[in-house]
Amino acid sequence: MAERGGERGGFGRGRGDRGRGRGDRRGGRRGGRRDEEEKWVPVTKLGRLVKEGRIQSLEQIYLHSLPVKEHQIVDTLLGPQLKDEVMKIMPVQKQTRAGQRTRFKAFVVVGDGNGHVGLGVKCSKEVATAIRGSIILAKLSVIPVRRGYWGNKIGKPHTVPCKVTGKCGSVTVRMVPAPRGAGIVAARVPKKVLQFAGIEDVFTSSRGSTKTLGNFVKATFDCLMKTYGFLTPDFWRETRFTKSPFQEYTDLLAKPNKAIVLEDNTERVEA
Amino acid sequence: MGEIILGMPGPWAEDCREKADHYTTKIGGLPDWPTPDLGIKDDLLRCSLCGRSLCLVAQVYAPISSPKLNLEERVIYVLGCPMPKCGSDPRSWRALRVQKCHSEMQLDGNGQVAKPLEEDPAPILRTNNYLEEDSSVTGSGREEDESDSDMDLQEFARALSEASSLASQSKKQSTSKHSGSTVKAMGTKPRVNDLSMPVVPCFYIYSQKEQSTGDKDAICASYSSLSIKEKQSTATDTEDEEKWEGETYEYDRALGADRTYLKFKKQLDAHPEQCFRYSYGGNPLLATTDLAECGTCKFCGSSRNYEMQLMPPLLYFLHEAAECSSTYSPEGWSWMTLIICTCSKSCCPSFCGDKRVSCCWGVAEEAIIIQDE
Repeated sequence: MAERGGERGGFGRGRGDRGRGRGDRRGGRRGGRRDEEEKWVPVTKLGRLVKEGRIQSLEQIYLHSLPVKEHQIVDTLLGPQLKDEVMKIMPVQKQTRAGQRTRFKAFVVVGDGNGHVGLGVKCSKEVATAIRGSIILAKLSVIPVRRGYWGNKIGKPHTVPCKVTGKCGSVTVRMVPAPRGAGIVAARVPKKVLQFAGIEDVFTSSRGSTKTLGNFVKATFDCLMKTYGFLTPDFWRETRFTKSPFQEYTDLLAKPNKAIVLEDNTERVEA
Repeated sequence: MGEIILGMPGPWAEDCREKADHYTTKIGGLPDWPTPDLGIKDDLLRCSLCGRSLCLVAQVYAPISSPKLNLEERVIYVLGCPMPKCGSDPRSWRALRVQKCHSEMQLDGNGQVAKPLEEDPAPILRTNNYLEEDSSVTGSGREEDESDSDMDLQEFARALSEASSLASQSKKQSTSKHSGSTVKAMGTKPRVNDLSMPVVPCFYIYSQKEQSTGDKDAICASYSSLSIKEKQSTATDTEDEEKWEGETYEYDRALGADRTYLKFKKQLDAHPEQCFRYSYGGNPLLATTDLAECGTCKFCGSSRNYEMQLMPPLLYFLHEAAECSSTYSPEGWSWMTLIICTCSKSCCPSFCGDKRVSCCWGVAEEAIIIQDE
């Protein structure tokens, strides 16, 4: 099984070309075949905004519930803080007339340890493809995790804000706020997901067939998704709606500072 | 036809209004009609929603050479409305198929050498002729006339680099008379900027065959942002009682993306700069699962089949270029892909008997299906 020699500890490598500024666009595409696969050409409108730098953090995307459809968006916004780890690679088999067809299923969790975590699952005929594919899917599924306090509100939030429960298949996982110093009290596999999420102390309790660790991990992830779905009194205040990035950007462009059509042969008119 | 041809971005046009010939495949700029008097109805060049002029998005030279059908003079023009509200409505987009009748090809012989006769005059006369010819072409404004006169000499050459290098040469020679490029300078058009065609930034396209899927894994390997932990670390869980049981094959899913879109994105990641995909009679690469019907050809009634689709990197490049210069950058366009279906028989859209070459060019309107994000 061919694999690239990765780095231990699952540290995500940042994108190599983030250091390059917005250089000469007109000439920037000469010889485009050279590093074609490295360059990110955004496909969605959100991707174009992120590439330009109009969106500074993932929170702006979460606030308006915009679907993230390109993993490079998460790469650009979270960058080097995002670490990934392969939790399990297992063969899954399908019986065919010509014997058994084996494919590999990879479970990968990504996270920055500070409130963002993603889980990706991918099946493929080769291990390396499954791992790469699941890293991409994990980045597409990055969610914000809400943290709160157990008692005194001093210092940084360290635990879940309230009791939440998540379910996948027959497995239900319940997370209960814990005092500082309790650590993550959970089984080994979901503990990893909670560590990547940035939760320091929590009590968990699970029910169902936790032998199916795939469902167990997904139930934990579902539980983390619900932390921001829980309405607490802090949210009672009326929401002050802000413009979504698309709307803001369209309004910015609608201002009449660009001349339409009129252009000069001999000189370039800058907007 | 199984093979898919990708349109990859080539050099930028030196000037977005420069003239090429109808054998050029390009994005943006002004459409190069094969003959000045195609007789395109005015409403074909206008948006059905807001009534403004459409601008050229893509011009693709698409000859067909199959055993049954051999058409060398065939071009597809994709026009779109740059107004903010009209971007995502399929009624404001138009695909025109301009082709020459098959019978004429036998008279002219080799399509590469033969040119419509009226494009062959002396360059000095050309400058004057343009003023008359432009008034006969509705809806399109051609500005640089004196700079075009030099390029007419070279019009036979199809090489993309020649077209752009000549544009830069002619630009140096052009006088200041046509430097102000509004239609008012023409004087022949009674209506001014309303009818002048809006222009988006222009670049040329070179074609590339799509690689087979076996290479995609190798291409995925070049992602620098993906790190892979060594496999030994995952072996530690065999020591305790945790066994991952009951796992079966699972289709790809992410929070914001479904399986169809993930396959679309995978193809895009293999060639991130593809501006369009061409596969006459093939299958489109869908971004969402619902695909509207193509309808039937208006001329011959036969069904339409898929021919090509425009891809989002095109929007990115246009947007990028428009920021550098002051040409128009349509922000209302946010489609994921634009699928163009043409008549499966590629019927001749004009009625020609034994007439001259000039009236055997026909224009047919084809179907466009938009798939949004």
